[in-house]
Amino acid sequence: MRLTDLEQSMLDGKQGEAVREALAFQLEVGRFFGAERFVPITNAHLMGDIEVMGNAGLGLLRRLSDHHGHCAVSTSTNARCMHFGEVDELRQDIVEIEKEKEIVRLIKDMGAVATDTCINYQTVYQPKLGEHVAWGDTGTVIYANSVLGARTNYEGGMSSFAASLTARTPAYGFHLDENRRGTLHVNVKAQLKDTADWGALGKIIGHPNQDYFSVPVFHGIDEMPLSDHLKHLGASLASYGSMAMYHMVGVTPEAMTSAQAFSGRHPDHTIEVTNADIASVYSAYNYLEAQANIVVFSGPQLSIFEMQNIAKLFEGRHVATGMHVFVTTNHAVWSDAKRLGYVETLEKSGVKILQGVCFYILQRLTQIREENGWTNLISNSAKLVNTITAHRFNTILRKTHQCVDIACTGELT
Amino acid sequence: MSTKLQLKRAWGPTVEAPVLVMKEGFSPRYDLDRWTGVISRIGHTAEGQSIVGKILIIPTVKGGVAAGWAFYDLLHKEIAPLGLVFGKLNPVMVQGAILANIPIADGLDQESMLMLHSGQNVRFDPSNKNITIVNFS
Repeated sequence: MRLTDLEQSMLDGKQGEAVREALAFQLEVGRFFGAERFVPITNAHLMGDIEVMGNAGLGLLRRLSDHHGHCAVSTSTNARCMHFGEVDELRQDIVEIEKEKEIVRLIKDMGAVATDTCINYQTVYQPKLGEHVAWGDTGTVIYANSVLGARTNYEGGMSSFAASLTARTPAYGFHLDENRRGTLHVNVKAQLKDTADWGALGKIIGHPNQDYFSVPVFHGIDEMPLSDHLKHLGASLASYGSMAMYHMVGVTPEAMTSAQAFSGRHPDHTIEVTNADIASVYSAYNYLEAQANIVVFSGPQLSIFEMQNIAKLFEGRHVATGMHVFVTTNHAVWSDAKRLGYVETLEKSGVKILQGVCFYILQRLTQIREENGWTNLISNSAKLVNTITAHRFNTILRKTHQCVDIACTGELT
Repeated sequence: MSTKLQLKRAWGPTVEAPVLVMKEGFSPRYDLDRWTGVISRIGHTAEGQSIVGKILIIPTVKGGVAAGWAFYDLLHKEIAPLGLVFGKLNPVMVQGAILANIPIADGLDQESMLMLHSGQNVRFDPSNKNITIVNFS
């Protein structure tokens, strides 16, 4: 890779050991992908919690801190694995909670803003068309590339931290024009109303086409989708297909026309999605016999409009015996939801609201499932019903209002 | 007799170990019990099998940024795989493998993948971008 004088001085350790270690790591990643240079970034989003970092990751973070590592661009943090308030069902490990608090402290000392959110694009920072960033959560990455027209790769683990410390990232993947062209033609003939329908569309396209460099181009969307719709579509494509970008003709900024979306590239193939295809996604899930089940609204965290909607759906109703219901959102949305009365409505209905976490990354989730005897997990998030499966939940995708009905009646429909 | 299988891009030290061949994508978060190193996702083609000390043969990826930290964590828990060979991969797998100093490659084609069977010993040589099946019969 070609290095500027500044980058060479970083590599020589003249900007400190933390920056040297970060740039050396980025060089290795860049060389793997054939990057020729670094590109400056304006913003980083860090993904790191004790559940996935473990003691080894915490040790690395301590080392960066000891070496006076400091964020060189505005930096936010992803959802955490610990809910710091009291919740009967969770009983997370006290020792691990302390480690998580140390991670938050170290990251804040490095200059990051501890937003604890996987919806930074809705609540924290919206990079502009062509702006290079380094974001460490797949749902945030696909939203940035697709909906905002910003440019980022998946920056997992050390990668997002390194980018924050050096204010740059290797120029490969979605930082380059040639990888942003559409590769798959998707003709949508289905009516997509609920966020779960958009997630189902993401599963239909993502699951059989697993490829980071695949870029679906959606045609036929005749009603302007909301931010929450695109959020669930992107999160699902990223989850099932490991995809980092899509275009939607007439909707997303690099796809004002189909020709612009493909930019001269011929699509690998065309996929048509009908109402029957969406219905078959829902019908493919089967319940297991169980005494206790759980309904989860999470993955990604809920926006204020999603909070408003489910508060309306739960109002005057109560969670049925044998059912447990969880909602996750970030601190900013929770504060607004509290002020606006949505928190009170939901809690009165027996819904538990977790702040600053995402449900599927909760620390000791397998044990939590076993201790509570939860068998079926019902959600309106296509991403969540996919990501949580290592913990051996039997997962079911349903539309939002169906999730609320199941939660309040206990009838598994 | 030995057979060499070509790779497209590769990084890391040469290793020799038995392979665990998966028939579907893999994510440490979606599919793996990260406290035992056993594939725990219900219905995964490698469900119940251990990744510890194996060279994983994986056609595609799923998700997810967890691998960015997860391989480093697995290494320190002494339950890490010894190598990662993909058909197609995403950057997180590379970022995670480099952090943990686990050799990684992509570009193993479908025909080559069919020649590999779980339990076979292979030599994975990233510098020469190939895999050699040891004692191929």
